[in-house]
Amino acid sequence: MKRNKMKKQSPNSSHRYFGEYGGRFVPEMLIPALEEMERAYFFYKENRAFQQELDNLRRNYSGRPTPLYFAENLTELGRGCKIYLKLESLNHTGAHKINNVLGQALLAKKMGKTCVIAETGAGQHGLATAAVCAKLGLKCRIFMGEKDMKRQYPNVFFMRLSGAEIVPVKDGAKTLKDAVNAALKYWIEHLKDTHYLLGSALGPFPYPVMVRDFQSVIGSEVMEQLRKCEKRLPDVLVACVGGGSNSIGFFYPFLHNKDIELYAVEAGGRGPEKGENAIRFGKNPRTGIVQGYRSYFILDENGQVLPTHSVSAGLDYAGIGPELAYLYDTGRVCFDSVSDQEALSGFQILCREEGILPALESAHAVAYALKIAGNFSRKEIMVINISGRGEKDLFIAARELDAENWLKFLNEETENG
Amino acid sequence: MADELKDVFSKKKKLKLMTHVLAGYPDLKTSQEWIMGLAESGADLIEIQIPFSDPLADGPTIMAANHLALKNGITPQKFFELAWSIKGAMTVPFIFMTYANIAYAMGMERFVSLSAESGASGLIMPDLPFDERNFDLFSCAKKYGLSVIPVVSAGISSSRLKKILNRTEGFLYITLRVGITGAVKRIEREGLEFIQRVREMTSLPLAAGFGISSEKHLDLLQGKVDMVVIGSHLIDLFHSSGLSAVLNFIKRCKARTRRDRTRSHTYHHGIGRLSQG
Ligand SMILES: Cc1ncc(COP(=O)(O)O)c(C=O)c1O
Repeated sequence: MKRNKMKKQSPNSSHRYFGEYGGRFVPEMLIPALEEMERAYFFYKENRAFQQELDNLRRNYSGRPTPLYFAENLTELGRGCKIYLKLESLNHTGAHKINNVLGQALLAKKMGKTCVIAETGAGQHGLATAAVCAKLGLKCRIFMGEKDMKRQYPNVFFMRLSGAEIVPVKDGAKTLKDAVNAALKYWIEHLKDTHYLLGSALGPFPYPVMVRDFQSVIGSEVMEQLRKCEKRLPDVLVACVGGGSNSIGFFYPFLHNKDIELYAVEAGGRGPEKGENAIRFGKNPRTGIVQGYRSYFILDENGQVLPTHSVSAGLDYAGIGPELAYLYDTGRVCFDSVSDQEALSGFQILCREEGILPALESAHAVAYALKIAGNFSRKEIMVINISGRGEKDLFIAARELDAENWLKFLNEETENG
Repeated sequence: MADELKDVFSKKKKLKLMTHVLAGYPDLKTSQEWIMGLAESGADLIEIQIPFSDPLADGPTIMAANHLALKNGITPQKFFELAWSIKGAMTVPFIFMTYANIAYAMGMERFVSLSAESGASGLIMPDLPFDERNFDLFSCAKKYGLSVIPVVSAGISSSRLKKILNRTEGFLYITLRVGITGAVKRIEREGLEFIQRVREMTSLPLAAGFGISSEKHLDLLQGKVDMVVIGSHLIDLFHSSGLSAVLNFIKRCKARTRRDRTRSHTYHHGIGRLSQG
């Protein structure tokens, strides 16, 4: 891994880019805050005390390292390579999101910020942010699309228990993209005391680099763990991809090893029609400049951002982080998608075979992995990143899989007051 | 820089009015009447915004207006047709404002050349900083005789501000608040101090906007800047009372800028609590 030594701003803007993608396309008024963050981030990246503090929180608060688990039954079912699961779902608050949150929240404290804001789709990033803010004594405000508040209500409830204020976002499709807009705008108005804790590896520089670095702990642990149990590197990695934080963190330490195949699974939703999915790399992928960065987005021919759909709120987003955009262009990462229905069956299969309840986001990776496992030999090793756990998807899964009993339960609950 | 912009600032010393309008809001026909009406009611310069689905620098009023205009069918193509059709009849210069993605989608250079052909004198692109690789709007605009109007706010470093000033040819747009667009009750001290800071660094004409919602705000800015920008408040007015209320407000503002400047100093309404800076 090359070490990034950017103490000072370089004279041109290339350090903000991955190939053509990335940049810092924001109103001038945000630039002082982003530059402050850049300086702080690259300073603390090399600061031993900071890294020790972060490491301590990872171990003792979040419960890292998360297990790398050999999924024997899933391997059997896949009829191909050996399948391991990286259980990011066993992090405190139930997803990989906390890796980034711990890093950024500590940084916010070092920068002297007293308030933290974040957007959330599935509620996992919001939940991690709310929890860590409670622990570190930071005031916390979470922006969440109204549609997502409804479909991920358990997380709304838990975020509030941790003392976070939830701001319902009523603009646009009332999902993740709208929550990012609302958070950015709130931030512009409160730069002095507020840190915007962005939840994926996207947005203006330095977020894509910073979030990727904080999430790289996933890939680094996998490398270490496989070395112990298999004495070798993996052959295939599979992750779901919304904005791209779990996938890039998982892939990053392996990028330079070209023999390792990397698959990122997008939300195929209800089908290929416009507005029915969140596939950025479909037939005619378009690039654009939205929410502060240049990347691939789901756009119409005039550059307007189009609505998206996915059964999983965390993948229901029109953009993708700039580093993954670059890795798409170079062909290093292979992008494909599975439908809502396939994801729901991935969800059930993992419960049935391994007794592990994945988030619907992660279930996309499971479903896709099972599709391709047969293309590999018994000697080869696949790792699926289980980015989060599925309790938050209780209501969606219940409606799809067991509507009758569930309704009966709810009716009884209501009658009992 | 475009000569029309030079002319705007060469006339007398009184405070000029730049008024914002959103193309296609609430529909194409009304926005055309709106533009012509602004010109007749005393605007010295008109800023026409091209709608975008995700307008990062805009508050609730202008964002909702963007969404409505898009819903009612505005496209960049229809926008340029509109501009083309009114340019002959326009008695005051106009500039275009939009977000980088609209220009990017049609090709940055094509957007600039179409803007020039449609009669614009300048461009505002709030989410395209001057120092992003491959996107040198300043050079591109210069080639087509357009001025880029940078939008700057308190908090900007002096070295960055200097770089921007070195590139600026038309005028500089100063936001009175570090915030998004939207009408506010009062103008805070922070904005006025920033104007002072910029004034000491450049002789370029200065415009100030973000939040202006009353004629009394103009008194406060009289003598401090060369032009005021009025945006969200007009859309709020349209929403509550229709186009005639918008145009009447502009007429009142115009009358206000003609008043004796020495008298304006007795007005203290609309001045922010000075302790809040
Ligand atoms: C469990 C889980 N997995 C994946 C994602 C998708 O985000 P990313 O692509 O940034 O990992 C989310 C986002 O909310 C999530 O909660």
